[in-house]
Amino acid sequence: MTQTMVSLRGIYKIFGPNDKELLHHVQNGMGKEELMEKYKHILALNNINIDIEAEKITVVMGLSGSGKSTLIRHLNRLIEPTEGEICLLGEDLTVLSEVDIRKTRQEMMSMVFQKFALLPHETVLKNVGMPLSVRGMAEDDCDKEASKWIDRVGLIGYENSYPWQLSGGMQQRVGVARALTANTPIMLMDEAFSALDPLIRTDIQDLLLELQKELQKTIIFITHDLDEALKLADYLVILKDGYVVQQGEPQHILMNPNDPYIEDFVSDINRARVLRVRSIMTPLGDGKLPLDAHGEVDVNDTLESMIEQSGGDTSHTYVVKDGGKTVGTLDMNELVRALVPRVASETTTRQS
Amino acid sequence: MTLYDKLFSFLGLSDWCKSENKAIISLKDLSAQAAGKEASGPFFPIPSLDNLNESCSRVIKSRDVTNGIEEGFLAAKPVLKTVLDPITQPLSWMLDGALWVFESTPWFIMVPILVAISWYASHSRSVSIFVAISIMLLAFVDHYDETMQTLSIVFVCTTISVVFGVPIGIAMSNSDRLQRSLLPLLDLLQTLPTFVYLIPLIFLFSVTESKLYGIAIILYAIVPVIRLTDLGIRLVDYEFIEAANAFGMNDRQKLTRVKLPLALPNIMAGVNQTIMMSLAMVVIASLVSAPGLGVNVLRGIRNLELGVGIIAGIGIVLLAVILDRVSKAALKRIDKTRPKD
Repeated sequence: MTQTMVSLRGIYKIFGPNDKELLHHVQNGMGKEELMEKYKHILALNNINIDIEAEKITVVMGLSGSGKSTLIRHLNRLIEPTEGEICLLGEDLTVLSEVDIRKTRQEMMSMVFQKFALLPHETVLKNVGMPLSVRGMAEDDCDKEASKWIDRVGLIGYENSYPWQLSGGMQQRVGVARALTANTPIMLMDEAFSALDPLIRTDIQDLLLELQKELQKTIIFITHDLDEALKLADYLVILKDGYVVQQGEPQHILMNPNDPYIEDFVSDINRARVLRVRSIMTPLGDGKLPLDAHGEVDVNDTLESMIEQSGGDTSHTYVVKDGGKTVGTLDMNELVRALVPRVASETTTRQS
Repeated sequence: MTLYDKLFSFLGLSDWCKSENKAIISLKDLSAQAAGKEASGPFFPIPSLDNLNESCSRVIKSRDVTNGIEEGFLAAKPVLKTVLDPITQPLSWMLDGALWVFESTPWFIMVPILVAISWYASHSRSVSIFVAISIMLLAFVDHYDETMQTLSIVFVCTTISVVFGVPIGIAMSNSDRLQRSLLPLLDLLQTLPTFVYLIPLIFLFSVTESKLYGIAIILYAIVPVIRLTDLGIRLVDYEFIEAANAFGMNDRQKLTRVKLPLALPNIMAGVNQTIMMSLAMVVIASLVSAPGLGVNVLRGIRNLELGVGIIAGIGIVLLAVILDRVSKAALKRIDKTRPKD
């Protein structure tokens, strides 16, 4: 049973001097363009409801201007919502005083930034130890804790370098180490890897997944890259023009897109690599197993590995196992069908 | 009979205008009377106070305006003096004290100290050697005492400017309203002709007090350090402020760990400008008894002693180059955010 760490309830955000007065227009259905045209206010978030589960990676994905960076800044109240509740373990953050929210930021959530935002005049060691020294911890203890995490992200030997002496990938490792040193249950990552080149990005994504396996943090990850989102996400939220288009388990969204916008999105990805056996298998209903099964597969195998295993033969069927227990069967014909997007998006949405 | 006579009678003010004291004042009137006719100017003169006064003696003359300012100032003087005198007295002590220290330290101790300071600040051998050579060169033509006097004044005034200027700049960067209200004042201080500073100060304090020139120099030189502190802090990228907020820094931590270090290059540029401007003002302050190289420049102008003026002028240039190089080298050394060449 998973626990809800943060829940967002009816969050609205309008940028502009009269946001409170204009709220009811938006609640009555006024859209982003109309609000801009009539009142010159920007509608950034429109009725956001998300439950963020503890110890899972929740990815918020959307194109630029969809409000995703605004959304993540609501979680630690770097941006105040126009309306709505942000509950952290049942406590509403929006009513906290300046002092209390500072304490929450120090002890509950750390953040990794797209442009790293490392202090250029401090060494890697001091940058990484910053979250602790802010809390008033003695310098020696900060340094000791910081060295531990610098080691963990693979930057040993760079403690006394300055950020400008490091490459982008290394700087973001420092950023991740800084967030980890804060030792907070929640980590906010705002397009953390978007500024890195593809190979380094893959490296640091793997590092994050590896660390996550061990540390079990509640991570809220913002990205505009669907491949990245699918690689990292336990739970995926897709944002468009400030509202949630669809949210759920990534596999589920991939198989059942509920909006042309998402179909358009998912049509471009390599489905064989992303989809897993559990999303397309036939669940074990009446307990009957096919007698001509060609072997056993794991529920979390990707379709790519299945194609490899079957040698491309579509007549095969397999027994699906989940940790030793038989949970279903997989027909290779089903698999081939699943590789084609449900709607050929080229012919529908892109023309509109 | 000008247009304004008709104007006043048209407005029905003729009676009001005819005041009892019909004393003849202007020389023009006198000569006109001697010639036996009324003074007659152009039909439509520029509407100035003096011209209006000719048509209506109730209107004050321009001379009364300047007199009024003077009288107002004199009336306020006792109050201003009782308030400002004690506040600014420490300035006199500091200037006199620094002067005494710089003058009474023997040269063979003072010069190594100055070279050591420039080495400590800049860590640059060429700058330190340049400082040693320049001071010895000035001493060689018997300008050592004047150089030390000028240096002591610049030292005190720059220190005070930084001590007050940086906090004012920080306060300005925090409040848009304060910035809006202070900027015109800073513009005024920077554009006011330097001699004009001296006029009210001469009224307030006696010319023998050293704080007189101290205040003039500080008022002039404090502007760049305020401006560049404000600008430097405002130019700090928002991503750093956001990161500081995200990790729960309070205002003081944000200032000391993020804003000031990142604004330091700009603040140091302001300090450099402040040093240069106080050096420029030292020369003008010699008009109100500030000692130093400026006195010799003044002597060169007053007595047309060309050589004296030029030697003192070159001395000031050398001092300026020393102070500029040392402060810039110091800035480059402490700025860790950039690669060094």
